[in-house]
Amino acid sequence: MSTQSHSSSPTDIPAPLLPLLQLLSSVFLTLQSTFKRIPGSPIIVRYIKSSYQDDPWRSLLEVLLIAFAVRTLLMGRTRGEGAGKNFIKLTEKEIDELVDEWKPQPLVEEPNDLDHLTLSTVPTIYGPNGARVKLSPAGKTVLNMTIPNWQGFVENEKMKQVAIETLRNYGVGTCGPSGFYGTIDVHMKLEEDIASFLGTEAAIIYAQAFAAVSSVIPAFAKRGDIIVADRGVNFAIHKGLQISRSTIRWYAHGDMKDLERVLQNVEREQKRKGGKLTKKFIVAEGVFENDGMMLELPKVLELKYKYKYRLILDESQSFGMVGAHGRGITEHYGVPASEVDMILGSMATGLATGGGFCAGSYHVCNHQRINSSASVFSASLPAMLATTASTAISILNSQPALQSTLQANILLFRQILSKLEPLPMTESGVPTIGSSSTAGSMPPPPVPNKDAIIHIPSHINSALIHIFLLNPPPTTEAEERLLQEVVDEVVSKSDVLITRARRLRGQEIFEPEPSLKVCISSSFSRKEIEKAAKGLREALVKVCGKKR
Amino acid sequence: MGRSARRSGVTSDRSPSSRPLFPSISLKGSPTTSSSVSEPPSARTSLINVLSRPRHHAHAHAATSSASGSSSADAGIFTTEDEFSDMSSTISSYASSILSSSREASSEDIAKVYRDYLETPFVKIKTSVKHSEFGHCNNPNWRWTSQWNPDEPIHALEEERPPYHVLIATYLSYLLLIVLGHVRDFFGKRFRQSHYSHLMEHDGYAALNSDFDSFYVRRLKKRLDDCFARPVTGVAGRTIQLLDRTGPDDNSSFELTGGYTRALNVSSYNYLGFASSTGGCADAVDAAIRRYGISGAGPRHDASTLDLHHQTEKLVARFLGVEAAMVVSMGFATNSTNIPALVSKGCLVISDEFNHASIRFGVRLSGASLRTFKHNDMHALEALLREVISQGQPRTHRPWKKILVIVEGLYSMEGSLLNLPMFMELKRRYKFYAYVDEAHSIGAIGPNGRGVCDYFGIDPREIDVLMGTFTKSFGAAGGYIAGSKELIDRLRLRSHAMAYAESMSPPVLTQILASMASIMGVAPPLAAPAGEELDTMSVASRPTAYGPASSSTLPSWFSLPTPLLNGTEGREKLRRLAFNSRYLSSGLRKLGFIVYGHRDSPIIPLLLYQPAKMHYFSQMMLKRFGADKTPIVVVIVAYPATPLITSRVRFCLSASHTKNDIDMLLRACDEVGDALDLKHGKQTMKVEEVIAAAEELVASNF
Repeated sequence: MSTQSHSSSPTDIPAPLLPLLQLLSSVFLTLQSTFKRIPGSPIIVRYIKSSYQDDPWRSLLEVLLIAFAVRTLLMGRTRGEGAGKNFIKLTEKEIDELVDEWKPQPLVEEPNDLDHLTLSTVPTIYGPNGARVKLSPAGKTVLNMTIPNWQGFVENEKMKQVAIETLRNYGVGTCGPSGFYGTIDVHMKLEEDIASFLGTEAAIIYAQAFAAVSSVIPAFAKRGDIIVADRGVNFAIHKGLQISRSTIRWYAHGDMKDLERVLQNVEREQKRKGGKLTKKFIVAEGVFENDGMMLELPKVLELKYKYKYRLILDESQSFGMVGAHGRGITEHYGVPASEVDMILGSMATGLATGGGFCAGSYHVCNHQRINSSASVFSASLPAMLATTASTAISILNSQPALQSTLQANILLFRQILSKLEPLPMTESGVPTIGSSSTAGSMPPPPVPNKDAIIHIPSHINSALIHIFLLNPPPTTEAEERLLQEVVDEVVSKSDVLITRARRLRGQEIFEPEPSLKVCISSSFSRKEIEKAAKGLREALVKVCGKKR
Repeated sequence: MGRSARRSGVTSDRSPSSRPLFPSISLKGSPTTSSSVSEPPSARTSLINVLSRPRHHAHAHAATSSASGSSSADAGIFTTEDEFSDMSSTISSYASSILSSSREASSEDIAKVYRDYLETPFVKIKTSVKHSEFGHCNNPNWRWTSQWNPDEPIHALEEERPPYHVLIATYLSYLLLIVLGHVRDFFGKRFRQSHYSHLMEHDGYAALNSDFDSFYVRRLKKRLDDCFARPVTGVAGRTIQLLDRTGPDDNSSFELTGGYTRALNVSSYNYLGFASSTGGCADAVDAAIRRYGISGAGPRHDASTLDLHHQTEKLVARFLGVEAAMVVSMGFATNSTNIPALVSKGCLVISDEFNHASIRFGVRLSGASLRTFKHNDMHALEALLREVISQGQPRTHRPWKKILVIVEGLYSMEGSLLNLPMFMELKRRYKFYAYVDEAHSIGAIGPNGRGVCDYFGIDPREIDVLMGTFTKSFGAAGGYIAGSKELIDRLRLRSHAMAYAESMSPPVLTQILASMASIMGVAPPLAAPAGEELDTMSVASRPTAYGPASSSTLPSWFSLPTPLLNGTEGREKLRRLAFNSRYLSSGLRKLGFIVYGHRDSPIIPLLLYQPAKMHYFSQMMLKRFGADKTPIVVVIVAYPATPLITSRVRFCLSASHTKNDIDMLLRACDEVGDALDLKHGKQTMKVEEVIAAAEELVASNF
């Protein structure tokens, strides 16, 4: 082909190219005619012509812009580092060498001493869990004050019966997410039960409380939104905040003045910056998982209305624990639950079955059915955990006496322990004001009680009690070891099982101080409570007293 | 390595004792129906009425029994399923039973026929397991062993593409929907403000949901909402009972009518058919509830670790063939709370582009850098690995602390299987850590049901982190992480779920123990059933012997019936699932549908493309328009779970489906496929040919 074209004279068009040129011209003509046929094409042509005539520079600019747009489109959406300036071009051989040289760190690090302590001190329960458990197959029975069993639902016989009936109708697993035939009638019933129990428009259930909390927050709060959160919120909320990518402002734990200060700051900032109105949320817990303190809900609601915030309230601990029927802190303060925009709760702690829920308005709940990842991408709750939760709610509704037993037990326990607190309780059980409104991390109030060695910030109605040491050893590790000594002493001397509050050291945003965690249940007798509290008091004096 | 070697017991005369669940047939009668059948004309007219009957009505009707001459209810005549499929078919039996009745077939008659089909087995059986939950299918030819065949490609790099007109129509459909949606939004916001209040600013509050973010949900998905989240009741087994509902206001809300519809369930992740309210597993769970109650109580570290947790974890480790395992009370949380415990800032996670949302959630929490590669493309992965290792961390070029590659064993939307042999080669060369999410493959894949490692004959101990769920194959809930002892110990310390999330509840643990033990069989093993030919290939090709569970791992109060104890029933289930999967996948391809995924995958996505067809497909399967009126529930999936244009219907098969069920599904797809123009591939066989050649199709490579 090439030889032929060389042989002909340069001015002539080489013969073999003729059909090609013909083709080209015909293509050109077709294109032209099609282009003319497009409605509006003369306008474009006229525009280009006149623009070139008036201002050739502008045409050039336009051409460049189009070229840039095409280039941007062709580059694709996800650009890796490969395209960046920082990219170093390497030969295949160099890459091979680098691959050979690269030594990754081990997947898991060696556990340290504290890790060993943590792992070795996890107790195993032989047989059923509940208020009285066995720590070895043939061992003696100890009182279990570590599990959230506020109303004794863990051992409830009625719920077992319901569970067996459910098993015989529904099996165990649901084998699908709620969107794909995993919405069972018992789920819908439980959602209705929760909503009517709390007095909200609707509710949505999740397969796990932890996942519910960490998934509801990012379902609403997005990048650019503002979240004002209590510094003492639990780990699940931290994870939710992290996923949401919102702007987060912290206020001092339990400090309403500081909350108002932060809200004012945000308002000022927004006024200065202007721009679009963003969603604003306050995130807090009813009873805080990390220290048992209770939120001052009326004050928070007042501030929320004043500064136009929405309130996300995690009642994972308080649901089923406080209030005349166990409806949580809304009932405790006599506030309608519908005033809180999203109430998160746990069926696993409050009702001793499994899963979590979010209650709120119809729109709030419906939004989550499609936008909350733990709801969309997870199998739904096993049917028997839903029916038993419904049963537990009906028990709560019909037996308010359970709550008074629980509160009496808590009070008794606190009274006995308060002898070691800086401000001992009066006979009526009300501690001096101030001791429960300051944070665990704050310096405790002045010490009138010479024997004081502990500090309990937990609310007087909270069945979840955290005990902090007044004069802790210098390092966290030493403190953990000391607390573990107390735990061991209590279980060996008084047959009462309590636990150190387990933390994920190194993964928490604010490291909580080490503490002992005690859970009170209404299924303990007064005698048991007395024995446990005294045993714990003695152990604390023995272990912590000798250090001083 | 003949193909016949994998066809277990095709020719051998197996003694009935080896399959106690499926005893031989007491009476071999002649087929009950004639094969020449025409469609009943009346059936089509009363299509809608069929599906909305109240339950008590249905029961009353069932009690009045066989006056209408339904084939299966005729006393004394039982056919084996072999004969049934040879001579007559479900479709003809329905039609004929309707025709044979003296009066004109009413919608109730039709409904009764399909209810009989779904609830009553064609054979006399001795087991207590309900036919509606686990179908009885005793033909030994309809079994297959799920195992890697090196002659078959593991993953087609280029999926089959539809003709261009389909793509253009799809894009135009979406364009139309989007334009219409915006028009409706525009006028709606001005004239019907009360409906848009949650999308607009009010009283100084920003809108709770952005109307831009929710546009897809409000304007596109809502049109399909009657196909999503259909409420059900009972067990999600072979069949499922739908609660009938109506949506009077354009799917804004639904009202239950009070009626029930039993439908064939090809939607639930019930791969091995362990979702059951009766049988050995349910009995074990029953005993566990009586003994342990239902609550796992608090977090694992706070005295909520039961002996049952330890036993389950040991059994899971034994099942998988690794050192240790750890269970978490929710499958989603297994990924989202454990990945952050493994990697952190300075580490790199490489993730398949179609990885599950829980993995992305976990990676985002971990703070590690993330890169993704083209779905299941091992060459793309290698190129990416070479790039990231040689370039190091962005800006500083420091080498990565570690690289964790997260892949899934079986992809839930694609049905594609991980190319594990090549993946392991890359792992050896590039020294990354492998995290394999076997949420869907565990139990469903492999000759021993041990997931992709088992399927490809790769030692599971070579994979650093094995993750899976119990929701799918085991009929329970929750998930596990398994691997070396160091890994699990580390995770116990650092996993969010261990310290702060509720522990797994005892009935769920028991369901896991019982179902897993029945797949493994419990040692000391009973003598191998007489006449059983040795499965030579699967023994020779696997490096790890997946042994039975030792009885000492199981709780002492645990009692399982013999077929579960000796593992025969578990094996039967694995093989039935493998046959069903391969049969449907191959059959649909032969019918000319565009089907994604591996042929051994129990997840079978059939491509629909146009959004309107999703709705039609789902409705036409539920309210069938052919002679056979048995409702089928299917899952339709669209954006954002899939790319915008490749919306699909996804079948999830189960060991509980009988071959007749799959036949019916194929016929239904054929019917709907013709009506909706879905056969974009080349149709090489007619549907009856496919059904007749089921065994050949399953055995052949293509």
